[in-house]
Amino acid sequence: MKEYELFIGPQHPGITGNMMYHLWVDGDTVTKAECNVGYLHRGFEKLMESRLWMQNIPLVCRICVPEPDVNEAAYSMAVEQLMGWEIPDRARYIRTIVLELARISAYLMAIGSYAGSIGIYTIPQWSMGDRDYILDIFEQLTGARVYHIYIWPGGVRWDIPADLPHLIEKTLNYIEERLKLYDDVLFENRIFFDRAIGVGKIPCNKAIEWGVTGPNLRACGYGYDVRKLEPYAAYDEIDFDVVSYPDLGKFDAHEAGDAYTRMIVRRLEIEQSIRIIRQALKKMPEGEHILKHPNWLRWKVPEGYAFSRVESSKGEFGYFVVSDGGLKPVRIHVRGPSYTHGINVAEKILQGANIADVSQILFSLDICPPDIDR
Amino acid sequence: MKSIELLGKGEEMYGRAYIKLNVNELEEAIKKLKENGFTHFVMLSCIDWLDKGKFELVYHMWNYEEKEHAMLSIDIDRNNAVMKSMSHLFPQIETYEREIHEMYGIKFDGNTRLTPFLLENWPHAPPMRKDFNSEKFVKQVYESIPFIEEDENEGI
Repeated sequence: MKEYELFIGPQHPGITGNMMYHLWVDGDTVTKAECNVGYLHRGFEKLMESRLWMQNIPLVCRICVPEPDVNEAAYSMAVEQLMGWEIPDRARYIRTIVLELARISAYLMAIGSYAGSIGIYTIPQWSMGDRDYILDIFEQLTGARVYHIYIWPGGVRWDIPADLPHLIEKTLNYIEERLKLYDDVLFENRIFFDRAIGVGKIPCNKAIEWGVTGPNLRACGYGYDVRKLEPYAAYDEIDFDVVSYPDLGKFDAHEAGDAYTRMIVRRLEIEQSIRIIRQALKKMPEGEHILKHPNWLRWKVPEGYAFSRVESSKGEFGYFVVSDGGLKPVRIHVRGPSYTHGINVAEKILQGANIADVSQILFSLDICPPDIDR
Repeated sequence: MKSIELLGKGEEMYGRAYIKLNVNELEEAIKKLKENGFTHFVMLSCIDWLDKGKFELVYHMWNYEEKEHAMLSIDIDRNNAVMKSMSHLFPQIETYEREIHEMYGIKFDGNTRLTPFLLENWPHAPPMRKDFNSEKFVKQVYESIPFIEEDENEGI
């Protein structure tokens, strides 16, 4: 049969953002795939080299649109390593709460867009609406809905308002109720089983070598989570489970590393995030929320190489920060999880897939092109 | 730290192993670490040390069992920026080398996919090099944007 070339993206509802896949197809089977990125390249890493340490905070959050807080946390942690700062206990708990709220909102977005890709259009409407309740919390806490610029080196920018824990608890109860409806419409739906089981499988013996991290790795049966491996914020004082194949709670475990398992892992991690936030609210100590900081305009960071990593909803986010002891960083390099998932992994697992499954495979990997482009 | 013991050199820096290697030792070192539990290749970073006349390449590797992060660092000459590709050891190194080739102009021998990555049809110098002044570049290319002078020691 004759081979055709097919271009999907950058403007296509079946692509996870502004990126493009160049597919070679034989009939309706993909024989080769190539990822093409660069539509979102804004040169952040270059820009950061010409800005003061503090001026980079409003910049880094823009590297991941659905979940910006992980960037602020990772950048701040790397700078704190170089400065030798221990942040106040209250700030550690506030960071945990903010990062977990951001994780829930990112998972809701991921689940919504995935459901849209297999034709269940109710879920995207619901999940985007439910995500807005979390953005309301962020608005009260930080004054902004999407980019919060809230986690700073040395702590967090403001203390939690007295009435916010009540609003958070109310929202968590609401989301818990809504998850039952999500199960009925998506996760226990026959369409989901028929479409997702066995599709887009990552070979589990290759997963670590290919650089797969986060929920995608846990769906392959490796229970690795940065929150447990290298606890940051207050995760070492909080009790939670790492969800990984084959222990999928009330859901049936089918095949490791396929689209079904990846989405079920995300669904179950929302429950864990809710559990973490509830504990953090209860255990949060009184005290300062930020260290006394130097004059931001003349702030010099000691010389050295620092690397910090956090667990984002998409996988391992890392910041490599190099300082020569000056007012500005020498080099900041961002490790985004989509860099491997979107390029090497997707190009390999798309081979042999049906054209109709391309979009759901990409959404089940939860690829976010801004952290490739930066 | 395990990686420092395995390779017989290096120092601890902010809880990470920082190991300075010669260019010809790198491939063996990555293979040795990979066999000894450093199975996750985190990333490949490049730093342009303009005043020292060199590029520094940092290979980050992570060991899930020992919970240890190793940074293997090599220096290459800035005027003759050529390096052997390591993409046969971990497949994702191919993408990092593509990006560094484009952003710093380092050539990686053995990487067959050094095609444009983020910047297509880019006729200018590699933009992440320290001697590429982006403000000056913007002023030259898009004349209408004002150029803001800045004091190196005082900040803005």
